[in-house]
Amino acid sequence: MGTLAKKLAVLIALTTVLVPMPEPPAAAGKLSLWRLKTYIPPADKILDTNAQECAKKAGVELAIQTYTFDDMWTKFTAAIESKTLPDIAELDAVGPARLANLGRLADVSDVVAAAAKELGTILPNADGAVKFGGKYYAVPHYAIPLVLFYRPDILTKVGAEAPDTWEDIQKVSEKVKKAGVQEYPNGFPWNRTGDGYDPAMSLFWSYGAAWVDKSGKFTGIPKAAGVEALKVVTRAYLADKTSAFDYLSWSGATNNEAFMAGKITFTPNGPSILYQEESTQHPLLKDTAIKVMPKGPAGRNLALTFVMNWAVPTDGKSPKEAKALIGCVMARENFVKYMSGSFRQMVPLFAKPLDDPYWNTPGGKIIVDTVKQGHPVGWPGPTTPAAAEVVSGNVLTDMITRVIVDKVTPEAAIDEANKRIKEIYDRLPVK
Amino acid sequence: MNVLTDRHRERLLGYALIAPVAMFLGALVAYPFLSAIYLSLTEKTVGYPAHFVGLRNYEALLESGRFRIVAWNSAAFTVGSIVVKLVIGMAMALALHNVVRGNQFIRGILLLPWVIPTVVIALTWKWLMDLFRGLINVALIDVGAVRSGVHWLGDPTLAMASVITANVWRGFPFFGVSFLAAMQTVPQELYDAAAVDGAGSWEKFWRITLPSIKGVVAVVTLLSTIVTLNDFNIVYIMTRGGPGAATHIFATYSYELGIMSQRWGLAMAASMASLPLVALLIVAVVRYLHREEE
Repeated sequence: MGTLAKKLAVLIALTTVLVPMPEPPAAAGKLSLWRLKTYIPPADKILDTNAQECAKKAGVELAIQTYTFDDMWTKFTAAIESKTLPDIAELDAVGPARLANLGRLADVSDVVAAAAKELGTILPNADGAVKFGGKYYAVPHYAIPLVLFYRPDILTKVGAEAPDTWEDIQKVSEKVKKAGVQEYPNGFPWNRTGDGYDPAMSLFWSYGAAWVDKSGKFTGIPKAAGVEALKVVTRAYLADKTSAFDYLSWSGATNNEAFMAGKITFTPNGPSILYQEESTQHPLLKDTAIKVMPKGPAGRNLALTFVMNWAVPTDGKSPKEAKALIGCVMARENFVKYMSGSFRQMVPLFAKPLDDPYWNTPGGKIIVDTVKQGHPVGWPGPTTPAAAEVVSGNVLTDMITRVIVDKVTPEAAIDEANKRIKEIYDRLPVK
Repeated sequence: MNVLTDRHRERLLGYALIAPVAMFLGALVAYPFLSAIYLSLTEKTVGYPAHFVGLRNYEALLESGRFRIVAWNSAAFTVGSIVVKLVIGMAMALALHNVVRGNQFIRGILLLPWVIPTVVIALTWKWLMDLFRGLINVALIDVGAVRSGVHWLGDPTLAMASVITANVWRGFPFFGVSFLAAMQTVPQELYDAAAVDGAGSWEKFWRITLPSIKGVVAVVTLLSTIVTLNDFNIVYIMTRGGPGAATHIFATYSYELGIMSQRWGLAMAASMASLPLVALLIVAVVRYLHREEE
């Protein structure tokens, strides 16, 4: 019996050692921070240095983890369910709405007020993604606006002006194709990436085809406006053949590569192409220009999908220290250092740094203009979990590809999309 | 007083020894599996409590035109991949079975696709098939076979064929090596006797090799079917399910529903949709193997 008892004891001990124990939440004095790993490594380095210095000053130990746009929601989904969100989370445009609706974010109105003292007033169009019921649940960190990249040398060659409307893009693309300069110059990818769904929102909104009213209530995409928007962009794939079907399978980086390989004249993208071209002294740098994204019959209603915001999840044990750290990272000196090292990728959402001489370049002004004109996801209403799902579920780009790939009529594609959107809004009422 | 007999002690020790394994299996296999089945029967959005809704998620999927496209794509992707892997794997095994010199080296080389990480394979094929800069299109244009690039990842039919090709390239060595190992256990005497009776190569293969290795063929096909049906990386990296939904399969669709849209209940139901088919396949293969043994 003694031998058996010993064996059992060993087995129990082994089991205890081998079964992984959940990581305890960070205690006071220790903070965890999750941030986006951007396409600009030098900027990431500045942010980490700023954050670590702030932590050092506050006497807390800071552990930084990163995620990319691709795995952000995989990481957050697991953390939401296991109640292990970090002390500080850098959330995307829809994150604050999703988490605040779950009651999992602390009120950070005091941090926003402090940041506003340092950085000037918050841009009104940034409010919609972070302010709910009169309280701020996240501090806008920066926006990565999508702009229209184009090739001025090619436009000169075919005698065309830089396009200002969605129609213009089609017309100029046709000219480029007819001139034999490029076979598929129109590089708008209606795919399952930000380069697909951000321009899709801008497109439909610019044709007056939003799906909610100002209160954020579902109204449905108006058919006439929606059909007009669909026709203008699907023509490039189906009739003019100025876009290749391959663009519909692109990843977030493939349009950058195609543009830098000189294969397309137009593509929507964040300023990261400029960073890549500048840092590698790319031969096309001198022939690369940017412009604010096109307008439509209802105006230039741009989407601001890539907005990163600091939030303090309620899972954390040190909300006071977390808020103080965000406040320190957003202090003017730290923020400007970060912004200036971002190759014009990270655009502030507070007034003062937007007036910084750093933006006083032709390209800089366009990037700032884009942010100032941008609307949050869910426009003309506020960002809501339902609006977030319309974007993350690729409803808009699916609508476009249904017409291009599956050859359904634009009218039928809009009916399908409205049915999907209505189901989402019925299922996800705002608390 | 010792109340336990030696037999009891032995039995107790046996239970104690298998207890950790049973616990691990319960925790790592049974619990997630049962939990997934339960979640598929609930309306569960990430962060919110789950509400039991019975088979409503399955009904919603059956009514969804998009899910029908996904189911069809998954079937095409799996069947297409398995059939081609089976043929190439068999050809590889037959070729290597008769190679005397350099057999180990060639076998090692042919195993490479199987040991390379799937992400690398998917990225490599994505680049090879790129419309503008892909090696395949550049080569085809250079030799004058085509005037402009083929839309490997853009044309809906070709896109499916392309992801199948990448999957086949990764998976055929598993078939080949498994078949080769099985072929090497077939007694040479059978072939010698067949040769004396005047059997040709085809007859030897059809009447000796294939019947001798059919158990291995069945198991390998079953395992690969399960893995292929649940494949995610190749499609996600190469096409993201596009163009449109032309290559959207169960795994990418479940990811879109569960992670991006946060609809766990529906995502689990989409993942579970292929389970009855896989279960039937497993039962059929196991029964077949039992019958063969008897």
